Amino acid sequence: MSKKQTQVWIGEKDLNGDKEFLKSQQSEFVELPIVDGLGNDEIVENLGGNRRDFLKFLGFGLGAATVAAGCDTPIKRAIPYVVKPDTIVPGVANYYASTYVQGGDSCPVLVKTREGRPIKIEGNNMSPLTNGGTSARAQASVLSLYDTNRFKSPMQRDGESLKAISWEDLDNAVKSKLNAGRQVRIVTNTVLSPSAKAAMEGFTTKYPNAKVVTYDAVSSSALLEATEKNFGTRCIPDYRFDEAEVIVSFNADFLGTWISPVEYTQQYIKNRRVNTVANAKMSRHIQVENHMSLTGSNADNRILVKPSEQGTAIAYLCNRVVGGVSVPGKLSAKATAALDKLSNELKRAQGKSLIVSASNSVAEQTLVYAMNAALGNIGTTVKFGAVSYQRQGSDMACQEFMNDLKSGRVDLVIFNECNPVYDMGAGFADSLSKVGTSIALMSAPNETSAVCSHVAPTNHYLESWGDVEAKRGQISLIQPVIEPLFDTRQSSQSLLTWAEMNSSSEQPYLDFVKNNWKSSVFASQSKFATFDAFWDAALHDGVVETNSSDLGLSFSGSAAEAGSQVTPAGKGELEISFFETVNVGAGEGATNPWLQEMPDPVTRTVWGNYLAVPVAFDGVRKFDGMNNLEDGDLVELTIGSETVRVPVIQQFGQMPGTVALAMGYGRADSGSTAEGIGVKVNQFFTKKGSEVHYYNAGVSVSGKVGKEKDFSCVQYHHTMGVTGTDEATKEEINADEAALVFFNYGMVKQGYQGSLTERSVMFNSTLAELKESVEHLHHKREEYQHLNDQTLYPYEEHKENLYDQGHHWGMHIDLNACTGCGACTVACMSENNVPVVGKREVSRHHEMTWLRIDRYYYGNHENPNVVYQPMMCQHCDNAPCENVCPVNATNHSSEGLNQMAYNRCVGTRYCANNCPYKVRRFNWLDYTTADIFPANQPTINGEEIPFGADNLTRMVLNPDVTVRARGVIEKCSFCVQRIQEGKLTAKTEGRRLRDGDVKTACQSSCPTGAITFGDTNNPKGELSKKLKSPLNFVALEEVNVRSSVTYTMKVNNRDESYDA
Amino acid sequence: MIYNRLTLKAFLSILFFTFSLSISAQPTSDAGKTLFKNYCAQCHAKDMKSVLTGPALAGLEDRWADYPREDLYAWIRNSQLMIANGHPRAVELWNEYKPTQMTAYPNLTVDEIESIILYVNETAAGVNKGPVGESTAVVAVEKSSNSWMYVLLLGVLAFLALILTRVIGSLNQIAAEKEGKTYQKKSLLETLTSKGVVGFVIFTLVVLGGYTTVNNAVGLGRQQGYAPDQPIKFSHETHAGINQIDCQYCHDGARRSKHAVIPAANTCMNCHKAIKEGSEYGTGEITKIYASVGYNPMTNKYIESYEEKSEDEIKAIYTAWMADRYLAEKGIDKLDREGERLVKEQWSDLVSSLTNDQKKTIAGPIEWTRIHNLPDHVYFNHSQHVNVGKVECQQCHGKVESMDVLEQHAPLSMGWCVNCHRQTEVKFGDNEYYQSYAKYHDEIEKGERDKVTVEDIGGLECQKCHY
Repeated sequence: MSKKQTQVWIGEKDLNGDKEFLKSQQSEFVELPIVDGLGNDEIVENLGGNRRDFLKFLGFGLGAATVAAGCDTPIKRAIPYVVKPDTIVPGVANYYASTYVQGGDSCPVLVKTREGRPIKIEGNNMSPLTNGGTSARAQASVLSLYDTNRFKSPMQRDGESLKAISWEDLDNAVKSKLNAGRQVRIVTNTVLSPSAKAAMEGFTTKYPNAKVVTYDAVSSSALLEATEKNFGTRCIPDYRFDEAEVIVSFNADFLGTWISPVEYTQQYIKNRRVNTVANAKMSRHIQVENHMSLTGSNADNRILVKPSEQGTAIAYLCNRVVGGVSVPGKLSAKATAALDKLSNELKRAQGKSLIVSASNSVAEQTLVYAMNAALGNIGTTVKFGAVSYQRQGSDMACQEFMNDLKSGRVDLVIFNECNPVYDMGAGFADSLSKVGTSIALMSAPNETSAVCSHVAPTNHYLESWGDVEAKRGQISLIQPVIEPLFDTRQSSQSLLTWAEMNSSSEQPYLDFVKNNWKSSVFASQSKFATFDAFWDAALHDGVVETNSSDLGLSFSGSAAEAGSQVTPAGKGELEISFFETVNVGAGEGATNPWLQEMPDPVTRTVWGNYLAVPVAFDGVRKFDGMNNLEDGDLVELTIGSETVRVPVIQQFGQMPGTVALAMGYGRADSGSTAEGIGVKVNQFFTKKGSEVHYYNAGVSVSGKVGKEKDFSCVQYHHTMGVTGTDEATKEEINADEAALVFFNYGMVKQGYQGSLTERSVMFNSTLAELKESVEHLHHKREEYQHLNDQTLYPYEEHKENLYDQGHHWGMHIDLNACTGCGACTVACMSENNVPVVGKREVSRHHEMTWLRIDRYYYGNHENPNVVYQPMMCQHCDNAPCENVCPVNATNHSSEGLNQMAYNRCVGTRYCANNCPYKVRRFNWLDYTTADIFPANQPTINGEEIPFGADNLTRMVLNPDVTVRARGVIEKCSFCVQRIQEGKLTAKTEGRRLRDGDVKTACQSSCPTGAITFGDTNNPKGELSKKLKSPLNFVALEEVNVRSSVTYTMKVNNRDESYDA
Repeated sequence: MIYNRLTLKAFLSILFFTFSLSISAQPTSDAGKTLFKNYCAQCHAKDMKSVLTGPALAGLEDRWADYPREDLYAWIRNSQLMIANGHPRAVELWNEYKPTQMTAYPNLTVDEIESIILYVNETAAGVNKGPVGESTAVVAVEKSSNSWMYVLLLGVLAFLALILTRVIGSLNQIAAEKEGKTYQKKSLLETLTSKGVVGFVIFTLVVLGGYTTVNNAVGLGRQQGYAPDQPIKFSHETHAGINQIDCQYCHDGARRSKHAVIPAANTCMNCHKAIKEGSEYGTGEITKIYASVGYNPMTNKYIESYEEKSEDEIKAIYTAWMADRYLAEKGIDKLDREGERLVKEQWSDLVSSLTNDQKKTIAGPIEWTRIHNLPDHVYFNHSQHVNVGKVECQQCHGKVESMDVLEQHAPLSMGWCVNCHRQTEVKFGDNEYYQSYAKYHDEIEKGERDKVTVEDIGGLECQKCHY
């Protein structure tokens, strides 16, 4: 009955009872030690005021106030349209269907525009690919439109720098270099657009010696090759994670970054939700990896193998499943046993399992296909109907291109929205210097454009026409929602201009796309008679489905042959793997401040990449990082002959003998957001022939050589655990430490109410123990509710009086459907004008995000499970923040909202101090310049203005949400602007509010529908249904704050025997 | 206290006396103005100098000088009757303006007609500058008389207090003398500089100062009565009042958006393609619209690629139009000196109206001066009030249809909003949305509740307007 809760922890610091950490936990607002401050030049400068300065400031302040008060109110202008477009009503948002696309990454979206400015990205519900889901990068893409670093006109190299020229001059210069005899290369990332491909084809027809070289920053070339070799078609299969009962992933981060994460996440979650206790079913997911990836953190079991052993592990499993495969090398006994067990489990799930691998070795991918074929998965979980085109890069073609470059055979290179100088590592820029003309078709500067001779600036996707065929038969359109902000031109239009294929109309590329569609998509459908009707419908919906019938492919490869080709690269004492993060990716997100400020879901670090080192228990009571390294220590990482300094983060679940580092950082020449953030790792990739592998087996890590400046890992900020004093020693001790000691030694050291384990922040269970766990949960909840009922002010009575009519807003978050992808955090920043504060401010616990996703480890210390908990204002009906506000700036509405009136707040921060969930944020500095008068100046007294305060970036602000000034508290409002809008719609239409009239930004961005928002007074609503689940719990229910947010217990399908 | 009341009474009676004088049945130009607006302005130009449907009224007394005054009254009361009777002046006018007939106003009294004539004469002579100047003058007079009264009152009270202290002093002295003690009577200076008096004065100053500061600070940034000059002398009175154009014809956002929307210039063109001359300013103001959108009133066509035209080209087009109208009005063929001056004046007015520091070109939007300004932290939605709440525009914006120059009617303060939310009844029964308020519906049915105000459904909560 009373099952002991599994231990829950957030990191080494709370497990070890780190003194600093404990201290910081006690005070609500972190106080930086003076010494640290004095060692920091910036702070010293900032502190450089004295009595005279004080008097000056005082005098200025008084004077300014007097002047401001004495002056007339400034005249404001109201500027109407000259000719108002029919479709625009000022103050009412318009939505246009379009498609976010960046290389092989795409997402059909609806773009919210206000007075012609795109301000928010929503998912497109009509898309069969994403069903309305989005990713963090798609959400953040609207900010890139207003990137101040974007190219503003065509440019030509003039010595060291680029100087602006006209399009005419550029076109003439390029055309003069082009003729049929010239060796031209168009280098591009995956192109998903059929029309853009047609444009390239037109170009290569006109110039027969032109070739298109496609590569991906993180290559899936081997998978494509293996499909071509074994099935006869070069494509990526249509994986069906929703059809699989057993999912095995060899290092493929399919929930985060691998091929089509939004689609896969949605499929995967279908079999991960648990709504009932009886007959609960879940898929089993086993991740074979060395680093805790986002996918690995969601897995039930992880089998730890070194990066160089991936091939061996695949061959071993294939031998067990298929037979007759020689296994090179040897795995650890633990891994072998686990793989043995896995093979049995796979065999039991014939036709209902799925094995995927991110390996970039053709042989290994062939083995994976062989397994899937032997298990009968081809046609069930590995389909060849709507095959994916999301990765098209070819390592071979890339290699060939590099050779051509080196031998000086190329006359002219066109780089189409890609960054090979960064991606390809050392040597590429040198060989490029042999090419006479290099043209960058890019929208913003990067390492490649910095060495090009010409820049033909391109439009942002929100300014472009186009189409995307991410999967066969699933086509979506891109339409412009704003006129190009600068003097730019779409890349395909540039190619067509240079190939002299442009029509003379105002929008030649639109004509090209339309003509292309006339002959392809329109011809293959029968619903519409005229093209115009068809086109209008397609533009409206944004998506069109055409033929995606099964191609009827079957496996024709040989596992034995492939097995003999698997050769592990030399094993090392210490190995390093390189991985993409969901925010920055392989570098494409690095220039976007929202993505830089979004914490990496697993490490919870921002603004930089951190070397993940394994953590081990010392056998007494401490967890130590490798080489005794602690979070934020700087180490020297030596790979081959190169040494770089990187900061360290202790990573639970990281395999001993391995470390890991994210790629995509250490950018140069790419604008102030990305430059100088983190270290570049691309030069360390291992190459075997043309294949690129994202690890290195020869690495050494030094001891601590310094401390990272402004170390920023947000998991240690705003924590909910509590400390206490040990009666015997009078020492401050973390409640979790007590729990830990108890956990390991059975020593009874009780009386520490409030550890993460003991506090009801998080409940979890394995599927096998679900019944007991739910009983335990109910028992606990009864206990809390009993305690909460011992009051003079019975809640039920109060509720009946206040909230039983009209609306009462509530939220339900299904932790089993949350993978931690972070789309909601960016959506929230975008919707609510949450400022970007930068690394230094984050390191001082000043991040402003209203919605954070807490990451907790639980279970096995060496190989833990992970739960992600989106945490935002819980809108408590008995809110402790409200009754401590001296000015009543935060109070409760009759609809159950915890309201925050910014203009009333005087910044005492009592509320933040009293909030048990730590969700209130204080504007320590003037992050938005909302406070500075006169506003709208490019600089204030010659100082650089903070990010987001310039007039271009301000265009992204949501005009319905106040931009907060310095000195006020802010927090999640349950998107009250959306609530009000939804209510108004219902009132205008004279009907009751319907489910779905109001969707919060986090809810609508979620790819899996983990978040349900609604009216608890509506018994028929989706929320009321969700609130009936027996797995529900309320975070910190025992403190009797009557939260309006309900979570479900996290359930995993872990099989402990894998760990034996 | 008694003094206070007496003074007040006296003051009020004086005020009443002057006021009653002012409303006695003497012809006044004020009354004339109202009458003119109600009866005449539809057909006669407000500047009294241009010819519209009806003739320009300036100098009408001169034109009727040959006939008895009663003929003029009769003509205004019923012109058709006089024409039928063959009055020479009436027939002359009829021949000039037929078939247009003047509406009969048989109920106009002699005083009323005299008032109108007074107003016409004054306006023609340029006495009546506009309603704003007048009303501010009135307010100023009232204010000064008020404060004068208070000063007087204060003086009287202070004097009384002084006398009282003197009397008390003397009494004390007498009493002391009776008892055989020596009593040093305080001198006036000593009384005035005593701790008590000084303390009291300081206290009063602090209280008064604080009160005034707070009162004024509350009003900071408020602009009730704000009536700035606009780039175009657009008259809501002409459009919404006389011509009865619906508010939402131009402000079409009011029913569907948070903004009421200032109409785009192309909305103006819907009518002003046909109406090229205004009743008050002739061509001067309407040409500004044409110059903004690039419409050539001579050819009745929009000008091709107007934005690329130079200022000289634009000037050529519109000065030609101004000159043309002048010639047509005067019935001459060549621009005289007066005409040249007029065209030049009109053009420079047009340029200064359509351009400013930020907007250098004549082409492009008309930059109006915004009158109703809410702070950035206030969310206000017109459609919520107009469409759902069925609030009349005039409730917040005042009698716009009688404002020649638009002014801010309401204080737009939070207290003003809150007050209305307290009093206003929600359209509870008509809108199905409110069905979710089951308890209120029950109470209404049982007769326990007679109305539901905005406040009752949370209309006073912070996050209804601040988010």
